Amino acid sequence: MAKGESLGEFEYLVLLAVLRLNDDAYGMRVRREIAERTQRDVTIGAVYATLERLTAKGLISSEMSDPTPERGGRAKRSFHLTGVGIRAVNRSRKELESMLEGLAFPLPRGSR
Amino acid sequence: MKPPMLARMLLLAVAGEGESEFVAGDLHEEFIYLCATRGRPAGSRWYAWQVVRSVVTLLALRMRSGEALHVVSGLSVAVPLLLLDRLWCFVHSQIPLKDGLSRAPGFLAVNLVCVCICAALCGSAARSFQRAILIAAATAVSATFALWAASGYTSAAYVWLMLLLVPASSLLVFTWRKFV
Repeated sequence: MAKGESLGEFEYLVLLAVLRLNDDAYGMRVRREIAERTQRDVTIGAVYATLERLTAKGLISSEMSDPTPERGGRAKRSFHLTGVGIRAVNRSRKELESMLEGLAFPLPRGSR
Repeated sequence: MKPPMLARMLLLAVAGEGESEFVAGDLHEEFIYLCATRGRPAGSRWYAWQVVRSVVTLLALRMRSGEALHVVSGLSVAVPLLLLDRLWCFVHSQIPLKDGLSRAPGFLAVNLVCVCICAALCGSAARSFQRAILIAAATAVSATFALWAASGYTSAAYVWLMLLLVPASSLLVFTWRKFV
């Protein structure tokens, strides 16, 4: 695997959120999904910066929808995983599982 | 119900053309949701805080998408010109009776070539004609500023050459890349 193809932690979270939300994956829903599930205080700027980076890597694609009144008359940009993105998620999961294998959680306090 | 005006203005100022539409839409949607569930003050606070915390990332996004290329172009012309001016000042100060007199034409020619190369590189990064025009204008403005801030005496011919050649080289390289 070439350098730059591996996923960062937040990139992985964003990809999983896009995957979970399916057709409803747009910036604010992705932000809320990550915030609710991980209890992290995530900003919309960080989410869009990551979505942009994942788009540049070819892991997700986006499309614009029509403006709606509940969005103040603004359009929505929805995201979907591409085939490359799905392969990247599968690979990251495999790597993570391989690293976690044999470890007992939660780790005891003070262990090194 | 509208989000706080100052935060909206800040968002429009920092987000690029592409991002401002859907980022503002997303924030507006969440603002309405928060106003309905937690009240308007909480919604406004949340909106403003999101915008403030996203300023750096949205600006970085704008830079990466090439929208702030005119700012980079301006800096990449003004900074080398000012640094070269400082360098020639130092060189002149080492020559007795030369300090404060008009600059040697050779030095000015080096300035001109360096700045034209910088402007041409910036012009080559433009993707549309409008962006190329914007970059050329930014290079001309920053060259004017750098010439004004330069400490040494410069002839009118040098100033005119600089103001003509810098934007021209930026536009020429853009045209060359587009049509060749």
